[in-house]
Amino acid sequence: MLAVIKKEFKTYFCSPVGYVFIGLFLIMFSIFFYIDVFAYQSTNFEYIFYSGATILTFITPILTMRTIAEERKTGTEQILLTSPISITKVVLGKFIAATLIVVITELCTFMYFGILSFFGVPHITTALVTLLGFLLLAISYISFGILASSITENQIIAGVVTIGFFILTWFLPQFNSIFNNFSLINMFSKFPRGQIDIADTVTFVTFTIACILLTIIAMQRRKSVR
Amino acid sequence: MIEVKNVTKKYGKFVAVDDISFEIKEGEIVGLLGPNGAGKSTTMNMLTGFIEQTSGEIIIDGYDMLKKPKKAKKEIGYMPEGVPLYADLTVKEFVKYMAEIKGIDKKERKEKVEKIIEQTGLKDVENKLTRNLSRGYKQRVSMAGALVGEPKILILDEPTVGLDPKQITEIRKLIKELGKTHTVILSSHILSEVSQICNKVIIINKGKIVAIDTPENLESKVSSNNSVYVTVEDTENKMEQIKEKIPQIETLKLIKTNEDGTKQYEITSKEDEDLRKILFSELAKENITIFEMKKVDFSLEDAFMKLIEGGKQ
Repeated sequence: MLAVIKKEFKTYFCSPVGYVFIGLFLIMFSIFFYIDVFAYQSTNFEYIFYSGATILTFITPILTMRTIAEERKTGTEQILLTSPISITKVVLGKFIAATLIVVITELCTFMYFGILSFFGVPHITTALVTLLGFLLLAISYISFGILASSITENQIIAGVVTIGFFILTWFLPQFNSIFNNFSLINMFSKFPRGQIDIADTVTFVTFTIACILLTIIAMQRRKSVR
Repeated sequence: MIEVKNVTKKYGKFVAVDDISFEIKEGEIVGLLGPNGAGKSTTMNMLTGFIEQTSGEIIIDGYDMLKKPKKAKKEIGYMPEGVPLYADLTVKEFVKYMAEIKGIDKKERKEKVEKIIEQTGLKDVENKLTRNLSRGYKQRVSMAGALVGEPKILILDEPTVGLDPKQITEIRKLIKELGKTHTVILSSHILSEVSQICNKVIIINKGKIVAIDTPENLESKVSSNNSVYVTVEDTENKMEQIKEKIPQIETLKLIKTNEDGTKQYEITSKEDEDLRKILFSELAKENITIFEMKKVDFSLEDAFMKLIEGGKQ
């Protein structure tokens, strides 16, 4: 599995994908940082992550849409699936590599925390809880993105399905409060207040595991229908 | 080494591979032959565990592909059709990655990767990205990927497609070389290639096995009728009467008249008998000069066409 993680991680930086993802996130994050700090005179690090979650919703597919769809299109999945490595390890490897990119991005956001420390006293525990929440949101997003990538060989379709699903879960609560529990981005909202909500944490993790399992099943099933 | 028992692959109602069975022993070089769409790639994909058969059993070196895929796959080096490669990796990185996912020990990895790069003649391009390589080199890289991990069996799907004649000879030489230490299965629709490299041929058409035999046997199977080409100078036009003189002749057919006045005939015997001896003496008696005489060799091409056409009827 380590081999897959290493190779995937490397590919993120051999192609522009990794740089585009991190760069895009930081540029937009900086804009929101500027607005928060200068327009609203706030030194609150955590609240910028509400905007951060919005950014993540739109740029996650950059990381995930090619993961499996591209292998299928170029035929390299033939190499991968005829090697003595299990599908589970392949999928987990790809998932972990994508997660590592998000972790790097999170580490980069510490510079904003540093800047704020000059002007005030930002709360480190709340910041860490926020980053934890953000990571949980990210793994849910990534796992769904990989699932979408595994059902098609067209990267564009994988990307559109991913964003479509995220936006759907985002706006569903507007129609009926029943959907509150389905909205990933809503579940994230408690973390910047410094609360680790057990129910939400469990939901994030369960959602992630479910998506990964479905991806594995989807790939396994293709063996008999391909 | 490889046992295939009553394997069928269906896509909905379409039967891609229909109840095939064969056995391949250690050290054999087997050619899988058939027209496009015959089920060659499907068969290979099942042998490598890329797809699952609808029914039947595939046993690789004692391991069932469905029940013990990890162990079975370890014995196989596979070069897929169209040589897919990771475009963002260099040759060395690719071979190393293959070594890693095949679970080769970290201590031996570097040495083995070096050895295989050397063996497949990739030393000069080892730091190039695979996307920038020519087709011939890509083929070699894919071959290197298959060879990593010292598999006992090599499965090569159309290994010479898209290469120039020089590269084809090189790849064939490499395959022959590898055949000494591996069991090799290769697919092809080029018959001369198969008769050159392989010592066993499996002919597939429309998902069914039409024949399993050595290339020589297949050739002799179709050339049961003994035919001879003769080019003669026949100034007195006696050639047409020769049929009555030699009772063994079944047909005598004028093929062409050459510019210098000589004529070429195709003569077929009734039984499996070589006519050359008798023709030589009889034609001399009739004052017909023989310029050229040649036994007609049926090629694997003819065997192939005959078998496939036979399958249609």
